[in-house]
Amino acid sequence: MSVIKKGKSQGGNGAKPKIKMCYNSFVKDKKTQKNNNTITPPKGLFDLLKPYSLIIGFIIILTIASNALNLIIPKIIASTIDTYTSSSFVMSRMVIEFSIITILIFAFTYLQSIVQVYASERVARDLRNQISAKISVQPYSYIEKVTPAKLLTNLTSDVDAIKTFVSMAISSIISSAFLIIGASILLLNIDWKLAVTVLIVIPIIAVIFFMVLSKVRKLFVKSQEAVDWLNKVISESILGSALIRLLNGEEYEYKKFFSANEEAKKVSLSILSLFASLIPIITFLTNIATLIIIGLGGYFVIQGSMSLGNFTAFNSYLAILIFPILIIGFMSNIIAQAQASYGRISKVLNAPVEKKNGGRKRELNGDIEVGNVSVLFGEKYALKNVSFNIKAKTKTAIIGPTAAGKTQLLYLLTGLLESNTGIISIDGYGLNEYDKESLHSQIGFVFQDSVMFNLSLRENIAFSKKVEEDNFTKAIQTAELEDYINTLPQKLDTIVSERGSSLSGGQKQRIMLARALALNPKILLLDDFTSRVDTKTERKILENIINNYPELTLISVTQKIESIEHYDQIILLMEGEVLAVGTHDTLMKESPEYVQIYNSQRSTNQYE
Amino acid sequence: MCKFIIRKEAQINMNNYSLNKTDIDKEKNKGVLITAWKRLIPLMAKEGRSVTMALLAILVSSIATLIAPLIIGHIVDKYIQYKNFSGVIIYGSILLGIYIIGFISNYIQIITMGGVGRRLLFNLRNAIFNKLQELPVAFFNQNKSGDLISRINNDTDKLNQFFSQALMQFIGNIVLIIGAGIFLIVISFRLGIIALIPAVIALVLTQIISPWVKRASLRSLQSLGGMSGEIQESINNFKVIIAFNRLDYFRDKFKVANDENYSASIGAGISSNIFTPIYILASTLAQLIVLAYGIYFISIGNFTVGLLIGFLLYVNNFYMPLRQLASVWSSLQLALAGLDRISEVLSLESNMPVSILEAKGENPLSSKKVIEFKNVSFGYIPNQLILKNISFSLEKGKTYAFVGPTGGGKTTTASLMARLYDPIEGTVLLNGKDICSFEPSKRVKKIGFILQEPFLFSGSVYENILYGNEEYIDFKKEQLEEVLESFNLTELISMFTNGLNTKIISSGDTISLGQKQIIAFIRAVLRNPEILILDEATANIDTVTEQLLEIIIKKLPKETTKVIIAHRLNTIENADKIFFVNGGEIKEAGDMNHAVSMLMNGNLNS
Repeated sequence: MSVIKKGKSQGGNGAKPKIKMCYNSFVKDKKTQKNNNTITPPKGLFDLLKPYSLIIGFIIILTIASNALNLIIPKIIASTIDTYTSSSFVMSRMVIEFSIITILIFAFTYLQSIVQVYASERVARDLRNQISAKISVQPYSYIEKVTPAKLLTNLTSDVDAIKTFVSMAISSIISSAFLIIGASILLLNIDWKLAVTVLIVIPIIAVIFFMVLSKVRKLFVKSQEAVDWLNKVISESILGSALIRLLNGEEYEYKKFFSANEEAKKVSLSILSLFASLIPIITFLTNIATLIIIGLGGYFVIQGSMSLGNFTAFNSYLAILIFPILIIGFMSNIIAQAQASYGRISKVLNAPVEKKNGGRKRELNGDIEVGNVSVLFGEKYALKNVSFNIKAKTKTAIIGPTAAGKTQLLYLLTGLLESNTGIISIDGYGLNEYDKESLHSQIGFVFQDSVMFNLSLRENIAFSKKVEEDNFTKAIQTAELEDYINTLPQKLDTIVSERGSSLSGGQKQRIMLARALALNPKILLLDDFTSRVDTKTERKILENIINNYPELTLISVTQKIESIEHYDQIILLMEGEVLAVGTHDTLMKESPEYVQIYNSQRSTNQYE
Repeated sequence: MCKFIIRKEAQINMNNYSLNKTDIDKEKNKGVLITAWKRLIPLMAKEGRSVTMALLAILVSSIATLIAPLIIGHIVDKYIQYKNFSGVIIYGSILLGIYIIGFISNYIQIITMGGVGRRLLFNLRNAIFNKLQELPVAFFNQNKSGDLISRINNDTDKLNQFFSQALMQFIGNIVLIIGAGIFLIVISFRLGIIALIPAVIALVLTQIISPWVKRASLRSLQSLGGMSGEIQESINNFKVIIAFNRLDYFRDKFKVANDENYSASIGAGISSNIFTPIYILASTLAQLIVLAYGIYFISIGNFTVGLLIGFLLYVNNFYMPLRQLASVWSSLQLALAGLDRISEVLSLESNMPVSILEAKGENPLSSKKVIEFKNVSFGYIPNQLILKNISFSLEKGKTYAFVGPTGGGKTTTASLMARLYDPIEGTVLLNGKDICSFEPSKRVKKIGFILQEPFLFSGSVYENILYGNEEYIDFKKEQLEEVLESFNLTELISMFTNGLNTKIISSGDTISLGQKQIIAFIRAVLRNPEILILDEATANIDTVTEQLLEIIIKKLPKETTKVIIAHRLNTIENADKIFFVNGGEIKEAGDMNHAVSMLMNGNLNS
């Protein structure tokens, strides 16, 4: 057999190489990189809320107002009883006072809840926008490293936790604090000795509260990670639904899901056991406070140092004191979850931003120079010391065995991948000097695997922002799509299903080609384009490209030598290294590996 | 078409699995909800003991909460007013005892019910995921993955929150309310009724408003599902978004979904927050009324100050839990909305079960034909047929090639052979029997299908090549290596850096597409199927490696029937028969030359 096939192939380990590669390029550029973060992510959960201080301030005022009014009610009751027993009671006055307060309380409470909803949804929406904005300035490698499943959790479940915190916890905490302070003052006012004995309970509760909180935060992080895992399993089982049914793997998928689900349940039960003890303890402690009042307060009334009316008021205020303490206990759950989620989100928001956009905008000619470029995945070289030149408006082919690094090479040329060493320049200017947008609008890329969007055909093809009508039509013609489109009842407005499941492999490839051509690009990169297209169509398409895009610089990764025999240049890539560069004839003379590839296809050449 | 016993609730659109139907009629909706309850009840049945215990616990703690003010009132009236301190001590101790009982029962209730809720969540999630595995491929083509994820992870959690927190609060509060209500009426019938009137009004209002709240909650869950769908799609297609400079597409699309979610959530928030203010209003009104009337009754001698104080306490005890109920009620509406969305999935039935009826044209005796298509017609969309009245047969042990222009129906034919879909008309026979009558596990063993776009799971090469392979999954390393050698696969494995242990990330670019195809190839060969279908399985593999694959295929057992779909002619050189697929028809091509000329001159129909 062959030298070609023996030997290790590229790829290696999964997550690690991307991180190393990412890290390497960042380290390399750290010195020259300026932090052009236009969004400064907040440092802590409370910093997150700073921009909303006005609304939150409003909520706090409303909360305090309605709670303050609530505090007045026992006072009215107490004074009613006292004035009645001292026979100076006026019914109408009491009714009027009470009614006014009732209406005010209702108004404030409802207003407060509406503003709360509004504020929490605002915070959630803005946070999501921030996260998505941050994702959109990251390189492709970042997404792979962080994994889509985790980002989905960040954008949905984690943001939700913060939203709940804003909508429930903030006002509850503030109003509880207010009520506790207010009620405490009133208690102290009535009888300070009794009040102090009762208020000792509060610091005890606070200590227990913070202890539980710190323990539980770690568990909440684990819980969110379990959700990530669930997302991933579900996602893969959906993407691989056809394969699963072909291999009868449903049972196995279920087992995978079951373990992820079990983990989520386990963590959730641990959290439960922590909280299950917190609330009853708090309740019990507040009940003890009541007991103290009954005992001690009763003693004072018996002694005569406290009036019955005051005793009643004391009890009412205690009821007011207890409720907020319980609320804070309930909130501990929400606070801990929000802190854990926020920790996860800030990792995304604080991720280093990709290197600054070059900024050079010019019309490309198409001269490409690649000098000593290497790409490392971990310890493995995906590409090693690759050098070649491509003249504008020529046709170049890249050929080589499976996993030679061909796709990586194309990714480099379009900026989806960063090189560890070496230079890539177009028309004499380094790739990094260019304005990314300008570059991408002139380089068309057709991926190996089909990527379709759940949009209309038209939108799938005219995927780039600035697509002119003529270029659009020309692209469709070149890709030999016209006939197919005409068979569809809704033609270009037909909606493509998610992942394009209703289209054949060849159709998807041609749509991707049309997408790339719709840019009217100066450089066209084809990654194994004709692998799914039959020979006749392939010939036609290549002819169309040559005819319709005469100024195009074409770089095509392919397996078939026959179709590239007349190309201006062929690059033979193997295990990440360039073995030979030249025309077909040159390579047939000079490169035994090339000949080997040629021979493996020779038998069918007679048919074509 | 496969024959089944079609149930009364006949699926009108046999192939319609789309979950985003906007016009679900009430009948269907009721049916959907009933199915949902039918599924929930067995899940809950196992929790019978826990729920009973929790109920008892909450009853005990509620009674404790009810008795406490009674005792306090008693202490005030009988002992404090009469300066009897020892009585205070005695009854104080009783009170302490009651508090301790309350503490214990509270703890029991939280932990049992919390466990119930979480186990319910666990079981629900399993149920939905399991249901997804029962549904055919057509379901996944019609629904967004992000939305499904949202239903499984998020909507189920709403039910958990209700059961583990709200439900017991609900019951506990009901007990408190009933208890306090009884006391109110017992202490003073007239004043009691007066005190309860605001509550009744509030309850009536609640009933009227609830459907609105539930609808708003449903809308917010739907928009969350939609947003998840957008996120999934965009992030999974990120490389195209970057290469085509459409990061703005990502941000804009997301912003639209985000804004929609925002308005739906605000709608839900405003509507569900309406209950609490109403109950607060009722509560304060009640206190006002009681105070006014109470004083009046005292003035005419029907009431005492001590009674009034106790009465006011009970009014508080009545309305405080009622206010709590308000937030519980919102949680209930949200849970019901979540249940709706879950039941939509659970109520779907696969229309591709195993058939027990005999189909036309079955003749198990002529088992030389391993696959036969009889007058098969099929289309993914009802009015667009891709295959029209196709008939052909494949014999055991032979090699067949299917060629034709793209979009002609080659992959579709193969999908029908593997029963990924059922034909709309006609029958597919496997070994002389209707393919619909095979148990999936048996059918799948016979057919190996290498998909055009290889799919790998995150894990290692080892895990992927043995996925679903019962025969070798328990083999030790050396045994497996022997097996690999017997299939001539060892050399292929050595193409990977760490061999069998090479790590793979499912939708990542860690290994090349060609390498993925190689793994898919190994996976299929290891199953040693009776029929091996290769759908352009080597399209992205270099021609030199491809020759190695051809050798492997040649060395497969003689009885293996091979079906090769390809564009590349060198892969179909050795076919016994070549079929030309185009425009919904399948014709036999005589030999290679004939096939080539058909390919060159055939009409492009796609």
